[in-house]
Amino acid sequence: MLKYRFNSVGLLLLLLIAIVLPFYLADYWIHSLTVALYYVIMAVTWNLLGGYTGQFSLSHHTFAVIGSYTSALLIIRIGTPLWMGIVSSCIFNAFISLLLGILCLRMRGIYLALTTWAFAEIVKSYIRMDFQFTGGDRGLNTPLFFKTIDPLPYYYLFLAFAVITILIIAIIMRSRIGYYIRAIRNDELAAQAMGVNTVRWKVFSFMVASVLASMAGTLYGHFIGLVSPVLGEFSEMAFIIIFVVIGGMRSQAGPVVGTISVRFLAEVLRKWPEVRMVIFASVVILIMRFFNGGLIEFLRKVYQRIRHGKDGESVSVFQKME
Amino acid sequence: MGVLYCLMSLGVNFIYGIMKVINWAIGEFFMIGAYVQYLLIVFFLGVRYWYIGVLIAALCTFLLGALVQKILIKPMFVGIIEEKMEYATIVTIAMAILFRNLAIFIGGPFIYTPPDYAPPTRIGPLPVSGNNVIAFIGTIIILAFFFYFLKRTWIGKAFQAVSQNRPGVLTAGIDVLKFDMIAFGIGTALAGAGGALLAPVLLVYPLCGVIPTVRGFEIIVIGGLGSIPGVFVAGLSLGIAESLGAAFINPSFVDIYGFGLLMLILLIKPYGLFGKPERSV
Repeated sequence: MLKYRFNSVGLLLLLLIAIVLPFYLADYWIHSLTVALYYVIMAVTWNLLGGYTGQFSLSHHTFAVIGSYTSALLIIRIGTPLWMGIVSSCIFNAFISLLLGILCLRMRGIYLALTTWAFAEIVKSYIRMDFQFTGGDRGLNTPLFFKTIDPLPYYYLFLAFAVITILIIAIIMRSRIGYYIRAIRNDELAAQAMGVNTVRWKVFSFMVASVLASMAGTLYGHFIGLVSPVLGEFSEMAFIIIFVVIGGMRSQAGPVVGTISVRFLAEVLRKWPEVRMVIFASVVILIMRFFNGGLIEFLRKVYQRIRHGKDGESVSVFQKME
Repeated sequence: MGVLYCLMSLGVNFIYGIMKVINWAIGEFFMIGAYVQYLLIVFFLGVRYWYIGVLIAALCTFLLGALVQKILIKPMFVGIIEEKMEYATIVTIAMAILFRNLAIFIGGPFIYTPPDYAPPTRIGPLPVSGNNVIAFIGTIIILAFFFYFLKRTWIGKAFQAVSQNRPGVLTAGIDVLKFDMIAFGIGTALAGAGGALLAPVLLVYPLCGVIPTVRGFEIIVIGGLGSIPGVFVAGLSLGIAESLGAAFINPSFVDIYGFGLLMLILLIKPYGLFGKPERSV
C-alpha cells in the first residue's frame, strides 16, 4: 500500500517536472523533447504489440505514416477542417489495421514479421511512386496544428497525448484483457485451451496499438508541417525497436525511459550519425545477449541494492510477468 | 537478374532450414562481400584475378558469419535465451544497422565503382554487358557446387538431416551446434559471393545490399520458408508478376507488384507455396 502511494506520488512528481521543464529550456531542446514524446508514444504502443502480446509487427511506423498522409491528403485535396482530418485518419487506420490484423492472424512467428514488413514496404513505395497524388519523395506540406512554429504548445499537446497513451496501456495491462494478452504471448495453445479468444484479443491489441500510433503520426505531421516517406523508412522501425529494447521490453516504464535516454544521447551525438547508430546497435545486441531487462531492470537492481544493502533476488523480466 | 537473387534467397533459406532463424542482416553480408571484393581487386589482386577475389570474399563472409553465429546466435540453442524468434529478429536487425553504419563510418557514404570484369559481349544478336554474363555464369557455378555439396557429400546429407530432425541427428552422433555454425557461415558466404559477383553491376555502397535483400525475402516468403524448389518457382512467378503488372497496370509501381503477390499468396496459403506449417511441440 505504502509502496503504491510512493509510486503514484513519484509519477505525479515526474509529470510536474515534465510540465515545468520547458520554461527552463531553449526552443531547440523543447523541440527535441516533443519529438522524443512522439517516439515515446510509438515505443509504448509497440511494446503492447511486440512485447506483451508477442506479435512481432514490423509495420508500426507505417501506421503513423498512413495516419499523417490520410489527414494531410484530406485537408489538402478536399479541404476538410483539421480536427475532421485527424478523426477520419484514425477511423481509416482502425479499418486498415483490422484488415491487416485479420490477415496476419493466420500466421505465427516469423511469417507475421515478414508480412508486416512487406506491408510497410508496399505503403512506402506507393507513397514514393504516386507522385501526383501523394507528392512523392518531396512530401506534402500540412497545416500546423496551432498555426505557429513555437514548439511550446506542441510540447504540451504531445505530453498530454503521451500520458493518455501510457494510461490506456496501463489500464489495459491491469485489466482482464492484460492477462489474456500475456497468456497469448506465453503459450497461445494453452491460452486457447483455457477459453481465451486468442483471435479477438490479438486483433484488439493490434488495433489499439495501430490507432494510437496513427494518432501520434497525424499529430507529428501537423507538428513539423511536413509529411514525407522518410517516416516510413525501415530505420524508423529499427529505432522503435532500439528504444524498446534498450529501455526494457515488457515493462510499463521501460520504453519511456529508453526513448528519452536514447533520444537525448542521439541529440548529443548529432554530429556523428553513424557513430551513434553503431553505438545503439551494439548496445541492443549486448542487452539482448547478456541482460534481458534493459535499462529499467538495471535501475531496479540498483535501487534494490541501495534499499536493502544487498543484491535482491534476481527476478528476470520474463519470469516476473508484470 | 532472377538467378542472381537466388543466391540471397538460398542463403537465407539454408539458414532458416537448419536453424529456424531468419537472418535479417543478409543484405549486409552481401554488402561486406562487395566491399571486400572491391578492396581486393583494386589494391591487391588487380582485375584479372577477380575470381580469386570472389573466393576470398566468400571466405571472409563465411568466417564473419560463423563468428557471429558462435557469439550471438548459438546461445539460443544452449538454453540461455528464452524468446528465440524475438531474440533472433532483434539481434539480426541490430546487426544490420551496425554493419551498415560501420560501412558508412569506415568507407564514407560514397559509391565505389569497381573496374569491369569483362568487356561487353554479344550473345547472338543481343549485346550484353560482360559483367552480367559473368555474374550469371558465376552464380550458376556456385549454385551447382552448393547443390553437389548438399546432395552428394556426407556433410551435405548431414545438413539435410539436421534440418529434418535435430534431436534425431544428435543421437546419430552429429555435433548439431558445430553444424549450425557452419550452416550460418555458408548462408552468409553465399550472400558474400553474390555481393562480390555483382559488385560491378550494382556498384559498391553501404546500402547496396538492400535491393537484393528485398527481392530475396519476397522470393523466400512466396516459395515457402525452408523450401529450395520453392525458391525457383517463386523467383519465376515474381518476375512474371512484375512484368505483367508493368505492362498492364502501371510501370512505375514495379516494386509494389512483388509485395502484392506476396500478400496474396500468404492470404491463400499462409505458409507459402511449398512451405510446411511450423510444428509446435
